[in-house]
Amino acid sequence: MRCLVIEDERKVADFVARGLRAERFAVDVAYDGQAGWELASVYDYDLIILDLMLPGVGGTEILRRLRRARKEAPVLILTARDSTEQKVENFEAGADDYLTKPFAFAELLVRAKALLRRAPASRGSVLRVGDLELDRLSQQVRRAGKKIDLTSKEYALLEYLASHAGRVLSRTMIIEHVWDQSFEGLTNIVDVYVRHLRAKVDDAHPHKLIHTVRGAGYCVSDEQDKA
Amino acid sequence: MNPRSLRFRLVAWYAGLLTAVFLLFGLAMFQVLRQYLERSMADSLRRRSEQIAASLLANVRQSGESYVADEIKARYAPENYDRFIRVSRAGGTVLYASGRTASFDPAGLPVPLLADATRQVSCADGARLLITAQSYAPPAGGHYLIECGGPMQPVETMLAQWRNSFLLGFPLVLLVAVAGGYFLVGRALGPVVEMARSAERITLQNLDERLPLTHTGDEIEQLSIALNHMIVRWREAFDQNRRFLADASHELRTPLAALRGEMESVVEQARALPEWRDRVGSALEEVDRLAKIVETLFAISRLDAGEAQQVWTKFDLARLASNTAEQMSLLAEDKGVSVSCLAAAEVQVEGDQARIKQVVVNLLDNAIKYTPGGGAISLQVQARGGKAVLEVADTGIGIPASALPHVFERFFRVDKARSREAGGAGLGLAIVKSICLAHGGKVEVESVESRGSRFRVELPLAASTNGG
Repeated sequence: MRCLVIEDERKVADFVARGLRAERFAVDVAYDGQAGWELASVYDYDLIILDLMLPGVGGTEILRRLRRARKEAPVLILTARDSTEQKVENFEAGADDYLTKPFAFAELLVRAKALLRRAPASRGSVLRVGDLELDRLSQQVRRAGKKIDLTSKEYALLEYLASHAGRVLSRTMIIEHVWDQSFEGLTNIVDVYVRHLRAKVDDAHPHKLIHTVRGAGYCVSDEQDKA
Repeated sequence: MNPRSLRFRLVAWYAGLLTAVFLLFGLAMFQVLRQYLERSMADSLRRRSEQIAASLLANVRQSGESYVADEIKARYAPENYDRFIRVSRAGGTVLYASGRTASFDPAGLPVPLLADATRQVSCADGARLLITAQSYAPPAGGHYLIECGGPMQPVETMLAQWRNSFLLGFPLVLLVAVAGGYFLVGRALGPVVEMARSAERITLQNLDERLPLTHTGDEIEQLSIALNHMIVRWREAFDQNRRFLADASHELRTPLAALRGEMESVVEQARALPEWRDRVGSALEEVDRLAKIVETLFAISRLDAGEAQQVWTKFDLARLASNTAEQMSLLAEDKGVSVSCLAAAEVQVEGDQARIKQVVVNLLDNAIKYTPGGGAISLQVQARGGKAVLEVADTGIGIPASALPHVFERFFRVDKARSREAGGAGLGLAIVKSICLAHGGKVEVESVESRGSRFRVELPLAASTNGG
């Protein structure tokens, strides 16, 4: 997978590039609009990550030129302003997704993969993490073969974590996915639900699956060193 | 009528002054009139005396005193014409004295010692007379005092008539003047009342409105112009503040993104020492908090700039509230607090549903945070008085009276230690207020310390269900 990052803030560009390379992407980086436009117009990328506030040629302008030149690579916009008009303007110019700074890298990765997947991946009906099994059709959960009763919110939370097993998901991502944006920022609702989920899933087992990564979020993983 | 209003006070002063001036003027007029009437009466009496002196007394030696007396009687007929005439000699003896007339009886009036004087006397029967006395010495020798008089009654009647018509006419004049004054003052102050009414309507959301101009060229027009300039300056200051907030939020986000990205890569590295990961994780938590504060500030500045109206839909506030309460029930359960939701009937409002939900979330979250275990929270939604009213009441620790006016201010905390422990940044209620204002509503709080708080949100009902 070939990916172009156009971002004038070097530090942001570098950690995004580093993170993507760790996920086995081939990454090119441009630090200004002109260089970005030149790269994007010459090569066919699978994904372009585009900052809006760029010296030289602005992000929205690059987007317009790309679409005019029939370059159809999905574009994920990064921005530090998130007014609704601006979002609408960029979606109209051909953006595929939108991410407001400061973002968790995990979120960028999830969105990038969603854009690349395009056609829905064949999602198996059963999710497995270690000895934990989630049946997506019947919404039944078993640990070591034993059935666990979960409320619908607890199930949604566990399924979200398990479907990104091994990846740390931030509270913001969890709230936006399992609840909605209104809950963001103020409540400890995620922590309370995770505690309840742990009591049901992990308490009876010495081998823990739900891990807290301080400062980053939560992670469901069979590995022990995540904790 | 408000007795302290400018209109009432001006008219009252006006009426008082008018009364005082009128009474003084009337009194002076009355005196002048009396003097004029008395003087002209005295003049004609004196002329009569002179006539008597010149035509009769001058020849008294030749004609004899009895002739004079007969002539006076014949020529002037004082009894018939309601006159008093008396001629006395130097020694005080009377040569001639007129008798009783229809209106008075002069019998027994003393002869004055002083000559050439005008005096008023009362007769024995009570009638008042004005009498002039003049001494006369005929060329042939001798000395006489001629007195002529007449009743005061016609003068007094005239004065009384004048006074009565004045006293009757004055209240009428006063009434007309007060009514006219009241009307004129009302007209002059009308623009002020109008200005006060428009000023009342101007809030942060409609700073583009201006006060009405009167174009009268008077002080009130100047006042409205000055006030409008003040609103413009106020608006500029407010805009500057808003731009600063937006720019600051933007400038803060980019470095925060870099900071977060670098730290996350450390935390998620399996190779890193657990102690390092813990420390960087702790720093990352602070980055998160900072990012949330920046986001909320930015959201508030956008709401205050009136950007809320872009995604408005019509929805049922009662259902939104009960769904939200349901979603948050675990948080309450976890603390041992009961939440009851009273939202039966449909209450349609119009607005940004996600934002309104945030209001419910923040108020409920607050209530749960500050209500100890065993307490109760009640959420109520109803249409009341043409408004959609949402109330969140708790039996929690309450808010001290001194802090109540500030709870909706940005970064305000009732008790610094307490709310930081609970994870607040002092922005939750500030954004609630901004959201309510942006929707044309308001939020209020009442609270009794250690008894509980009650937050009340009022929003306009959606157009089609007005009054429902």
